[in-house]
Formats: sequence, C-alpha cells, structure tokens
Amino acid sequence: MIRVGVDTGGTFTDFVFKKGDRWEVLKIPSTPENPAVAVLKGINIIRKDDACDITHGSTVATNAVLERKGAKTAFITNRGFEDLIYIGRQNRKKLYDLFYKRPEPLIPENLRIGIKCRINSKGEIVQAIDENEINTVVKFLKDNNVESVAVSFLFSFLNPEHEKLLKERLVREGFYVSVSHEIVPEFREYERSITTVINSYVMPKMDKYISHIQRELQKKDSFRIIQSNGGVISLETAKKEPVRTVLSGPAGGVVGAFQTGSMINRKRLITFDMGGTSTDVSLINGKIPFTTESEISDFPIKVPVIDIHTVGAGGGSIAYLDEGGLLSVGPESAGADPGPVCYGKGEKLTVTDANLYLGRLIPEFFLGGKMKIDRKRLEKYIDHYSKQWNMEKTKLAEGILRIANTKMERAVRKISIEKGYDPREYSLFTYGGAGGAHAVFLARMLEIPEVIIPKNPGIFSAFGMLLSDIIKDYSLTVMLKGDQTEYSHIKKLFNILKEKANRDIRKETISVEDIRFEQYIDMRYKGQSFELIIPFSKNFIDRFHLEHLKKYGYKLEDKELEVVNIRLRVIGITEKPTIDKIKEGGENPPEDAFIGKKTVIFDGKPYETPIFLRDKLTAGNVIKGAAIIVEYSSTTVIPPHSCLKVDTYGNLMINTYNE
Amino acid sequence: MTDPITLEIFKNKLISIAEEMGINLQKTAYSPNIKERKDFSCAIFDSSGSLISQAAHIPVHLGSMSESVKSAIKNVEFEEGDMVILNDPFRGGTHLPDITVIAPVFYREKLLFFIANRAHHADVGGISAGSMPLSTSIFQEGIIIPPVKLVKKGEINREILEFIKSNVRTPKEREGDFFAQISANITGIRRLNELISRYTEDTVIEYVNALNDYSEKMMRNKISQIPDGDYSFTDYIEDDGAGNRDIKISVDIKIKGSDAVVDFSNSSPQTKGSLNAVRAITLSAVYYVFRSLLDSDDIPVNEGCFRPIEVITKKGTVVDCTYPHGVSAGNVETSQRIVDVVLGALSQAIPEEVPAASQGTMNNVTIGGINPDTGKPFTYYETIGGGMGGFAGGDGESGIQSHMTNTMNTPIEALEFEFPLMVHQYNLRKNSGGKGLFRGGDGIVREIEVLCESEVTVISERRKIPPYGLFGGEPGEVGENIVILKGKKIKEGGKFHRKLKKGDSLIIKTPGGGGYGKAI
Repeated sequence: MIRVGVDTGGTFTDFVFKKGDRWEVLKIPSTPENPAVAVLKGINIIRKDDACDITHGSTVATNAVLERKGAKTAFITNRGFEDLIYIGRQNRKKLYDLFYKRPEPLIPENLRIGIKCRINSKGEIVQAIDENEINTVVKFLKDNNVESVAVSFLFSFLNPEHEKLLKERLVREGFYVSVSHEIVPEFREYERSITTVINSYVMPKMDKYISHIQRELQKKDSFRIIQSNGGVISLETAKKEPVRTVLSGPAGGVVGAFQTGSMINRKRLITFDMGGTSTDVSLINGKIPFTTESEISDFPIKVPVIDIHTVGAGGGSIAYLDEGGLLSVGPESAGADPGPVCYGKGEKLTVTDANLYLGRLIPEFFLGGKMKIDRKRLEKYIDHYSKQWNMEKTKLAEGILRIANTKMERAVRKISIEKGYDPREYSLFTYGGAGGAHAVFLARMLEIPEVIIPKNPGIFSAFGMLLSDIIKDYSLTVMLKGDQTEYSHIKKLFNILKEKANRDIRKETISVEDIRFEQYIDMRYKGQSFELIIPFSKNFIDRFHLEHLKKYGYKLEDKELEVVNIRLRVIGITEKPTIDKIKEGGENPPEDAFIGKKTVIFDGKPYETPIFLRDKLTAGNVIKGAAIIVEYSSTTVIPPHSCLKVDTYGNLMINTYNE
Repeated sequence: MTDPITLEIFKNKLISIAEEMGINLQKTAYSPNIKERKDFSCAIFDSSGSLISQAAHIPVHLGSMSESVKSAIKNVEFEEGDMVILNDPFRGGTHLPDITVIAPVFYREKLLFFIANRAHHADVGGISAGSMPLSTSIFQEGIIIPPVKLVKKGEINREILEFIKSNVRTPKEREGDFFAQISANITGIRRLNELISRYTEDTVIEYVNALNDYSEKMMRNKISQIPDGDYSFTDYIEDDGAGNRDIKISVDIKIKGSDAVVDFSNSSPQTKGSLNAVRAITLSAVYYVFRSLLDSDDIPVNEGCFRPIEVITKKGTVVDCTYPHGVSAGNVETSQRIVDVVLGALSQAIPEEVPAASQGTMNNVTIGGINPDTGKPFTYYETIGGGMGGFAGGDGESGIQSHMTNTMNTPIEALEFEFPLMVHQYNLRKNSGGKGLFRGGDGIVREIEVLCESEVTVISERRKIPPYGLFGGEPGEVGENIVILKGKKIKEGGKFHRKLKKGDSLIIKTPGGGGYGKAI
C-alpha cells in the first residue's frame, strides 16, 4: 500500500508518496478543466501494481465559488425573507468606495423563493406549510432547470420539521439538496443560509468530480479528501458536504506543521507559508486552531475552518513608487505570467527579483535549475528603477524586502500579539517556496527566537495531508442560561451529538486507531453579541471568566451568562506514515554538502557566503550565518548572527540570534 | 531626505497602531454600538492635536476627533498617566452618546503625541432610553461631560466616574465601556513608545511630518484633477421633529488649482429640533467625500490629507450650531445630507467620479417596553440600510448602509431571541431605486410586530424629498413609515413617537438611491 498526498495547485498538481522507506515527489501539470485527469495520471504513474491510499486536497469546490461556476441553484426560505442572502449584514466592506458593489450573488433574484411558513424563537410552528405550495415550487424549479436547492428557514435549528419536509420531497424529485439544520444548526440566519447555499452551489460539481475519480480507482485503493478544518473525510461525505472543503487549500501545511511540531517537541508554532502572490500565517498553541468566522469571496462560512490570516505579499509581489513618493510592495503580483523580471518577461521589480539581486537566491538551483534565470536582464532593470526612483541599488532591493517583511510582520501580529499570544514564546514554522529567504528576517522583527524549516518546504502542503486525522465537527444552538445547574443538561445534549458522531465516523470507511472527542461551548455575558469558544468541563463557568479576562482584559463575575452553542469535534486518529531519521553527522557538514561561495548583501554589506546542498546535510550539523542552503523546492537564507542546526529528522532549526 | 522605504514602513506602523487600538476597544467594550456596529474610532495626534493617523472604522468621526484633542489641550494641563474624557458637542464633541477619551504620550518625560478614541455609548441619560430622542435642547439628550481628567497620573478618578454613572440608565455598562476605552489608549501609548524607542524621537517626528506631506500631495493631486470653478448645490432636511420644515443645506465649492474651499454659509439657521450639526460633523462629512475621491484605500487619513480643503461654516447655522441647541440627530441625519450636497456640487465638476444620491438617512428605529418573558425593560435600537446611488458604469447597490454609517444589522434570530418582537419581512424594496441609464439601488422593507405593549421612536429623512438622480436619472423612491394598529394601516411622518399594543406592527420602507443618466 502506497500512501500518497495529492495537492492540486494552479500550475502543478503535487504528489508526495512513500515508496519503501523513501519519500518521493512528483509534479504533474494541472488540468484545470477537469482536475481529476492530472490526479489520476499521477496516481497511475506512482502505483504500478500497488494499491494506493490517497489523501487529496481538492480545489474543485473553491474554484466553483471563486469563478462562479457552480450549479444552477435555488434558495428556499420563509416568505418575506427571500433577499436575506443578498442583503447579508447590511454593511459594506470598503468604507470609502462610492461605487461599492457586493460580490456577484451565487443565486439570482428569480431563484430566491419564499414559502409561507414560520417557526418562532421558542421552536413552535406559528404557521404550517401548505403541501400545495410545495407542489407549485417543485414545478417552478423544474420549469427553470434548477439543478440544486438550498433550504433555510428561520429557527430551523430549534425545529427542523419544515426543512425535513422540503428535503424529503426535493430529493424524491431528483434535486441536489442541502438544508441548513444539517449543514450548520446555529442561529444567525444569514451566515447559516449562505453556508448552506454555498454547499448546494458546489455540490453537483463536487459530486461529478468525485464520481469520476471513484470510477477510475481500483477496489483495493482508498481515498480521502481534506477539509478546511484540517481533517479528512470519505468521498461520500465530501459529496454531501463539499462546503467543508472550500477553504482547504492551506490546511495540509498547517496539519503538517502541527504533526511535525509534535514529533520534535514544539507545541507552539507560528506557521508561515509564503507563496507567489500571498502569505498565510496561523498560530498553533498545542492544537490546530479553528475559527467559525472565515469567508470566501466575501461570503461567511460558518463551518469550522483552520484559523489562518492571509496577506497579499509573496515572491511575485510587485514594487512601485507612487505619485506621493512612497515605495509600495503588492498586493499586485506578477504571477506566473509575466512573472518577475529575472524570469525573462516581466518588466516590474518583484520580491523575488530583490532576493536574487542581493545574491540570496542561487540561479543554478532555482527549482532544481530548471527555471532559467536572467541575471543580466535583472541588473538592467534594477539600474533603470534605481535611477528613476533615485535610490541606491542595494538599498532599493533591501527596501523591497523590508517592506514585504513589514506586511508579513503585521499579519503575524494580528494572530499573535493582538490575540494575547507572545510570539517570543513561539517558533516560526516556515514552508512554501519563498519563505526560506524571509523567515529569519521576519522572525527577528517579532523577536521570535527560532525558525524551523521542514524537509521539502515547497511541497509541504501535500506532505502534511498525509498526517491528517479524520475530523468531523458538530454544533447546535442551545441558548441556555450559563449556570452550574445546566451542567448535566448540557452534558446530555453533548451525548446526543456524540451518538450521531459515533455513527457517522463509522461510515467514513477510513480505518482509525482511536476515536477522541473534544467538547466546546460558545459562551458570552448576557447582552453581548460575540461568543468565546471554550472547552466544556465541569468548571466551565470559571473557565469562561478566566478566558474573558485573558483575552479581553476584564471579567464580570456577577453578570448573567449564556451558553449559545455547543460544539463537538470527533477525531478519528489515523495511522500515520513513519517519518525516518536522517543520517547522523558531526557539527561540521559533510564536505560534499558545500558547493562554493557567493557574495551576498546583508544590511548593505557584502558577505562571502558559503552555499550548502540541503540533501547532503546530516543530523547534528551546525552552520553559522551567513550561509545559504539550497534544495529543489526552496532556498533558505541564514543571515549573519544566526545559526542553523540540522535536527535528527532533517529539519532546519535556526537560532535567529546567535548571541 | 525622506526615504520612500521608511515612509512606507511608518505608514504601516502608524495605521496598525490605530487598528490595534480599535480591536482592543471593540473586544472589551459593552455597548452594542461599539462591539457589533463598530461605531467608534481610534487615532493618533501630534503634540498640538493635529491628526497623524486614523483607522478606518466609521466615517462620521473622520478628522473631527482633532477638535476634541485640541479642546482638551486648551482646557487641561496634561501630566504623564492622565486621560481626559469629554462628550460636550460645544467643546470638541459631536453628540452626547459619542464619548472621547484622550491620553498624552510622553517619552522620556517629554509630551510628544496624543492618543484618542471615541465610542458611541448605548445610553448617556436624557429623556429617552438610548439617548437618541426627538429633543429640542441639549439638556434633554443626556449628561454633558466637559474635558475633565478621568484618569490622573495612572489612577482612575473615582469621583468623576461615579458622577457620570449616576446620570445614565445603565451605569455598569458605561463603566465597562470606559475601561475598554482606557485600555485601548494604553495599548496605543505602549505601541507608540515601542516605535519611538526603536526609531528615535527625531526619526518618528520626521516621518510623521513626511506622511502628512505625502497625504497632502495625494489629495492635492486629486483636487488638481478637478476643473477649476465654482460649484453649488442645495438640498433640504425635511423636518426637525419640532415643527420646522425644509431646512436648507447649501454648499458653494470653489476649486482653484490644488485647493478646495467648501462654504456652507448659505445654509439655514440652526433649528429647534435635534437635527443640528456641530462644526465637527460638517468637517467629517466633507472629509469623507474628499477621502472617497482618492483612488487608493491605502492613503493615511491625517491632517495633511485635509490641508488643501478649507471648510467655511457660519456660527448659528444648522451645520455649525451653538449651545444649547439639540444635536442628537445631526450626527446621524444631517451628516448624510451634507455629504449629498457636497457630492451634488462636485458632480458638476467631475460627473464620472460622483454617484447620484444614496438613501440619505439612517432610518433610526428605537422600540422599548417591558419584556413579558423576563419582566425587565428592553430597548432595541437599529438603523436600516437603503439604496446607493447609480454611477457612471454601474447600478447603485441595494439594501446597504451608505456614506456616513456602516453598521451591521441585528440578525432576525438574534433579535427575536432577545426581544418580544417578531419580524415578518426583511427584503429589498423592489423598484424603489431611481430609474436611469444606471439605476439607483433599492431600499429595504422591514416589518416588525411587537409582542407586548411598546413605545416606538423613529427618526428618518427622505420621506418627502427624494434622493436626487443625476444627469437625467430619476430620483429614488422616498421612504415610508407605517404602523399597523389593530390591523389598520396608518402612514406616519419621518419622525414620530407612538405607543403600540401587542400585535401591532411597524413597517419601515427605506429610500432607494437616485438614478444616473437618462434611461434609454
């Protein structure tokens, strides 16, 4: 059985797999029209005669939403509220935009349908549904060639009767259907409804995609899909609840960081994934962090998603001097086409160009030497811009990097300092193609003492997927008084969810070694409108006050409390592929790891800097900055006054201040 | 010489300090207006009280906080560890619910900067819960706080605190909000100190000045693109809730080179009702419009940004009222009309950069009573979105907050959990946007049934005089306020106060935006 991680990207579909005790990597050009073609092609190359156990990060649902290429979908709700998915929360995302427009809606006005029926805030039916009206709606849907339907009625999380009725009928009539009490049984109608709408919108596409893969797989194979929460699910579940995958792009990397961190006794990590156009950061404090406040295309997604902050600065970000005399970097990116100046086509300086100009990227090793780098061309352009902008050349290049790093610093501050976490107690876990050239500089801006760079950072996301457990999230709005007498009541409610979770996880057809439950409750002081998610235990009240104090600086012990939602996470611990230790060595790197010296600029000064091949380094090697470590998918810069140590698994552990 | 790289870095740093203060304030505050609706602002000032950096929170505070800081400087001798509180509209405030807390930033015993934040408190006393009454003088609107020290050398001034708390309906919540405002300032002070110790006092001041010059340059660039000339526009506040109608808001804008003079001298005298605006509000509305004309989201809002703009108001007019006139609704309604006239005037100069009128009101609804489920009083306050104006190249957006406000709605399920109310309709008001080549956006219809005896207060505009269209576009539909008493529909005016019985309903139909260009 071969374990394979498959990550579909814009240009390449990455495969990471273990053959015998060797990890291997395969890149196949992506096939955006039908991503399954590249996925299956790669698997067939890898498999020979073996069975495959595949974990896949799919972008099918994500792209269907971003490109508005989902199914023809209708929205059914109570009459009088048809536009609630359009109005949203009534605010605009940009304060100073006189021409502000909401993102293009997923469902046009004529397919937003109201049915006369109503349940009140106590869960009582105050107006029943008339069968005849359902008949009319069904006919309308068929006449309009609707393929998929989302149903969300007010207070359905208290009483799902009307939604169940609709679902039963619509399924019978052959529609794809999702109902809000099954997707997110939580209050706040807009967020619940739009999450359900997104599910219906991408469901047909995901269903066809997965069915295609299923047809081509062999009986002995197994296949799982990674969700936005970092856990995997079976293909059958992914077909029914594809909304759980729409933000799964960065999930593999965070899971990989979390699992790698656990192996090397680093429980506190700030993940730093710098790509071509953007950078993702997240904070791991003993657990994979989740949030219920994420968005895609400005639409809220209420299902739990790994808590990640994204900033528009990456290797391809473009530098420009504006009319007011200020140098900016990003969010505009040179992308793959035209790409940076040094790739031979671009005309605008990018972050990658600045790194190359300062000697921090080694052209011969750029993507294993496959990417042609035109250093002469770059020098011409640097010369041109430095004259035009009246800045000395190395100062310009270092300035571009400083500005990009400042943007990333701001992103890290948002997930750490501003949430009450001190980055000085964390390690900066770095992956993605461009991160290695920036990590130590970024860490120093935040006084982060250590940078960790795992093996194969450029394809770490595909690798991370292989380490995922099954994760399924359940929630329910309960709106209870938060006092001690409710403890056993809440426990009972959790037991109901647990029964369902136990049933569901057995259906996942992925073998598990162990099942674990995590219980959380969303609590607030009565009258507040934002909840804190806290672990549920007997002393949940003290825990809440404490958390409120820690996060917000005060607590109000005499104030009435409210338990808004209960949340159950069931984790099916999967068998992980073993990660092998690398060859032991002494402090001095093996001779064949050293491949020469180059002049690299740090702080305006040239340093004769040794270059090492990462693959030849052995455990225990110590390298003092300045140094550069090259490998196929990434380059790591060890600036002066920092120091690298290679650990037993081959991770680069960099002490950011050697003093 | 200023260095373009360091300039960009300082721009980032200063904005992120103001933003972090905002997050701090929002998280720790108690008033729904602060926590949910982000009706607050945080900013940094130089030692003379001029604005250095402000985070984008709510336009109605834009640029006007500087008046508060300057008033505090004039009235109080600052020492390290002090914080001054004020809400007096005639000494640097706007309307009474907006309370500003100001702190000096000392570095090595030298006063270098000020930090301030302003937040809309849920109640500051006065004749009605929520402190947004149909009033005829400032004394009916709540407690007036002149610039006084809430914190003295790091110690909270309990006497002041107790004094304020004794004059409001929900003293515990106010205390919580004050702590939140103080703690936001502490964050700001700490971050500024870190910045100074990392870059030195001289560098920080040098780049603060450079950023002012930068924003000024960007604004001047923009204004120079507007053809030189005189542009005038007049629109009206329909009624002030105290019997006065058609209150004129009139602007004459002179563009010359890179300078703009915005003159409101021809506006009506101040009025008896609460729709008067203090000068600070008028400044905010003008600054909002000019800031919106800039192409980039990224230009710091600071004193330099507004240097090219001179705003002229006449004391004793509805856009620069004097003590002790009522001002509570000037902030929410008159501010919108000031935006309308400034945009209207500019549409003659730069027709492609200005939309037709948006709904031009905030549709303030307050419902209060005794909740039969709990036996306790409740107050529900909300503003409702409407249509935005059409513009060259696109239809106006529908069902959305525009211009001087950007608050979120209360979810129906949250509202019905919390209050004895039931919502029967919350939809777009179809075809209420003005027709035109580019249509105005549609308003909203919101219908609420009260499930127990309640009192309702509505303060709204654009019920008679519609949001204007431009260049042949038709005006948006005017709004409508309707109550259903025992099944009978009664049309109400733009401002009213009424008792409702169990089972009665309130229907608010908000205005559509104006159309742009003649429909083909």
